[in-house]
Amino acid sequence: MKAIIRTEKLSKHYGKGGEIRAVDELELEVYEGETFGLLGPNGAGKTTTVRLLNCIIKPTQGTASVNGYDILKEEMQVKRVTGLLAESPGLYEKLSAREFLEFMGALYDVQAEVLPERINDLLKLFNLESRRDHLLEGYSRGMKQKILIASALIHDPPILFFDEPTSMLDPRAAVMVKDLIKKLADSAGKTIFICSHILPIVEELCDRIGIINQGRLVAIGTVDEIIAQTKTKTLEEAFIALTGGVEEKELLAWREQKSAPA
Amino acid sequence: MPLPKWLIVARNEYRIRANQMGIIRPFFPYLAIGFLAVYVWFVAPSLVSFFVDDLLAFFLSHVALAIIPIIMFTIFFYLIILPITYTLQGMQAEQVEIFLAAPIKPSHVLLGEFLGVLPFYAVAIGALAGTFTAVLNPLGLDMLQIAITVSIFVVTSLSALWIGTVAAALIRTRFAKSARGRDIGKALSLVLALPMIAVMYAMMGGGLMDALADPEASGMARLVLSFLPSSWGAEVIASFASSPGNIVAVGFEVAMRFGGLLAFFGAVLFLGTKAASRAYSLEPTSFTASRVKPDGAFYKTIKALGGGRSFGALLVSITKDYSRRLENLSRIIYIVALIAMLEFFFGRGFEDSEGATMMSLFFFPFLAVLVVGQIALGGKENLFIYKKAPHGVGKLVKARLLQSLLVAVPIAAMITALSMLSVPQITITSILVYTGFMMQFVAANTTLALGLSLLNPEFSKNTRTQMMGLMINAQVAMFTSIGIFIGSQIILDLSYVNTLLLQAVVIWSMGILFLYLGRRRIGRIE
Repeated sequence: MKAIIRTEKLSKHYGKGGEIRAVDELELEVYEGETFGLLGPNGAGKTTTVRLLNCIIKPTQGTASVNGYDILKEEMQVKRVTGLLAESPGLYEKLSAREFLEFMGALYDVQAEVLPERINDLLKLFNLESRRDHLLEGYSRGMKQKILIASALIHDPPILFFDEPTSMLDPRAAVMVKDLIKKLADSAGKTIFICSHILPIVEELCDRIGIINQGRLVAIGTVDEIIAQTKTKTLEEAFIALTGGVEEKELLAWREQKSAPA
Repeated sequence: MPLPKWLIVARNEYRIRANQMGIIRPFFPYLAIGFLAVYVWFVAPSLVSFFVDDLLAFFLSHVALAIIPIIMFTIFFYLIILPITYTLQGMQAEQVEIFLAAPIKPSHVLLGEFLGVLPFYAVAIGALAGTFTAVLNPLGLDMLQIAITVSIFVVTSLSALWIGTVAAALIRTRFAKSARGRDIGKALSLVLALPMIAVMYAMMGGGLMDALADPEASGMARLVLSFLPSSWGAEVIASFASSPGNIVAVGFEVAMRFGGLLAFFGAVLFLGTKAASRAYSLEPTSFTASRVKPDGAFYKTIKALGGGRSFGALLVSITKDYSRRLENLSRIIYIVALIAMLEFFFGRGFEDSEGATMMSLFFFPFLAVLVVGQIALGGKENLFIYKKAPHGVGKLVKARLLQSLLVAVPIAAMITALSMLSVPQITITSILVYTGFMMQFVAANTTLALGLSLLNPEFSKNTRTQMMGLMINAQVAMFTSIGIFIGSQIILDLSYVNTLLLQAVVIWSMGILFLYLGRRRIGRIE
C-alpha cells in the first residue's frame, strides 16, 4: 500500500529551550484511501500534528510528506491537496453560509463555473439550504460545524483532516457526518485523518488508529491489534492503559479531606 | 461569617482591573496615594502659580459663570460614559450568566462592580478636585469652602459614575445577548465621546469663550445647564468665588444647591439599586437572524475591481465582513466627525490651498489607521484559514490593502475637495491637483497602516485591546507625517509642495517596507 502521509522524526517544541515537546519525533504512515484515527488525551499533540501536516506551523525538527509533497519544501502543493476541519476553527460570522463557502472556494481557487453548484450541493447535504443566506453569527454551534465541514470539502481534496468532527453535533447530524466520512473513504477514495476523543466513532470509522501521549506515538495498528497489544478487552481500556488514568479510589478523595460541611 | 457578596464582587472587579498592571499591581494603592499627595500639595499649586493673575480675572468675569457649569457638565458626562464605554467595548454575556447562576442579588453585583472599580476612578477624581482646589485657593477661600468644593467634586463624580455603572449594566444585558447587539455596543463605544470632543474644541478654538463673555449668551447657557445636577455644584463654586472666606453671605444658596446635589446622589443610588434587579435579565426577547441579500451592483463592481475571478470573490468576502461590522463604520464616522470638527472650529476661512490641506496632512494618517483596523479581527483562528490556503497570507494582505484603499481614498478625496471649496477664488485645476495629491497621500498612509497592523497584530477579540493597538499604530503614523512636515519645513526649509513630495516618498517607502516585513511576520505566526 502507498503511504500518502509519512512523518520522519516530526517534532514541534515550544518554550524556552524547547522544554515543551508538543510533538516528539513522530514516526507515522497513513496509507492512501484509508481512514486513520489519531487518539490521545488533552494536550497530547494531536492538533499540533494536524497543524504541522497542513503547513500551518513549521516543525522544530524532522519533516513529513503529504501526497508525496514535502511539508517544508512544497508547502503550496500540500495545502492544495488537503482539506482541514480544525478543532477551534476561524469563521467569518458576518458572512452568510453561502458567502463563507464562496470565500473558501475562492481561497482554494475553485473554478467559478463549478463553485455555485458545489455550494448548493453541500448546503443541501448538510440540510442548511433554507438558511444559506443567514449570517453565520446566528447559527448554532452544530450548524457552524456543518458549514466548516462543508468548507473543508469545498475544493474536493484527496486528503481530509477532521479534528473532532462530531464534537458539537446532535446525534442525527453526527450520524450523517459519520456516513459522509464512510462514503468519502469508500466511494470517493479519500484518505481521511481523524482526531477525536469519542472512541466509538474512531472505532467505527477508522481502519487503523494511532495513540499519541505527551507528543509521542505510543501505539499504532487496527483496533484489534491495539487491544491485543495492551492485553485489554476494549479500546477504552487500551487507551487508559496506554495514556494513564485516574484510579477509582481517587475519584472522591477530594471530598473526604473536607472537615467543614458543604 | 461569610463575606458580603457585594464585597466579593468588588474584590473580583478590582483584581480584574489591577491584574492588567502587571508587576506594579501590589504597589498600586501606595503609588496612587503617593502620586495624589505630591500632585495636590506640590504640583497643582505650582502649576496654578504661573497663571494666578489670569485665573483671578477669569473667576471674576461673566465667562466664569457659564464656563464652570460647562466644565462640571463635561466632567459629569465623561464620568457617565466612561463605564458605559468600558462595558460596551468588552461586552460578554457569559460573565452576567455567572452572576445569574450564583446565589447573589443583582443589586449586590452592581454595587460590587461599582466599588471594585472606584479606586481607579478615585485617582482621577482626586487629581481633578486637587486641581480645582489649587485654582480656587488664590481667591482666598476658607477651609469650609474648600472642603465643600472638594465634596462637590466627589459627590458629582460618584453620581455620574454610578449612573454610568447602572446604564452600563442595562446596556450590557440588553445588547450582549445577541451578535447584533454586541455589534451596536462596540460601535456606540467610540462615537459616545464625540459630543464631549465637540464641547472641548468649541472652547479651544470655536470662540465659545468669547461668545460666553456676552452676558446674554452666558445667561442663556447657565439657564439651560442649571437643570443639570452637575451645575448645582458649579453654582456653589461660583458663589464661593464671588464671596471668598464668607460662606454666610451665600449660606442659603449653598445649603439648597449642595443639599440638592447630595439628595440627587442618594436618589440615584437608591434608584440604581432598584434598577439592578431589572438590569440582570438575559432572557432573549426574540430570535432574529440577519439575512443577506444577493450581491448588488456595488459588490459586483468590487469583484470586477479585484479581477473578477477568485481574487475578486475573496475581495468581496473581505469587504462584506468589513462593512457588516458596525464598529468599523463607527470608526469611520468618528474620524470623519473629528476632522469635520477640527476644520469647523480651527480652520474656518482658509485663505489658500495650503491652509485647506494642512490639517489633513496631520489627520489622514489617523484616518488610514482607523480604516485599516486590525488585521486579525476574528483572532488567530481566522488567520489560520489563510495560513492553511495556498498563498493565503499573500492573498489576505493584497485583499485587505485593496479593501482599505477602496474605503480610505474616497473619504480623503471628499474631505479634501470640500475643504478646498472654502478657499476664495479657487480654480478647478487646483482642486483636482490637491485632491489627487491627498488621495495618494492617504493611499501611502493606508499602506503604512496595514504594514503596522501586520507587524503588530492584535488577536484579542476585545474591542478595548484592539483600540489600544490601533492607537499605537496611529501615533506612529501621525508622528511620521508630522515629523517629516516639521523637518522639511523648519530644518530643510523646503516649500510646501516639496514637503508634500518628500512626505509621499518617505511614507510610501516606509509603507512598502512595513508591508513586506509585516507579511513575513504574519506568515511566521504559530
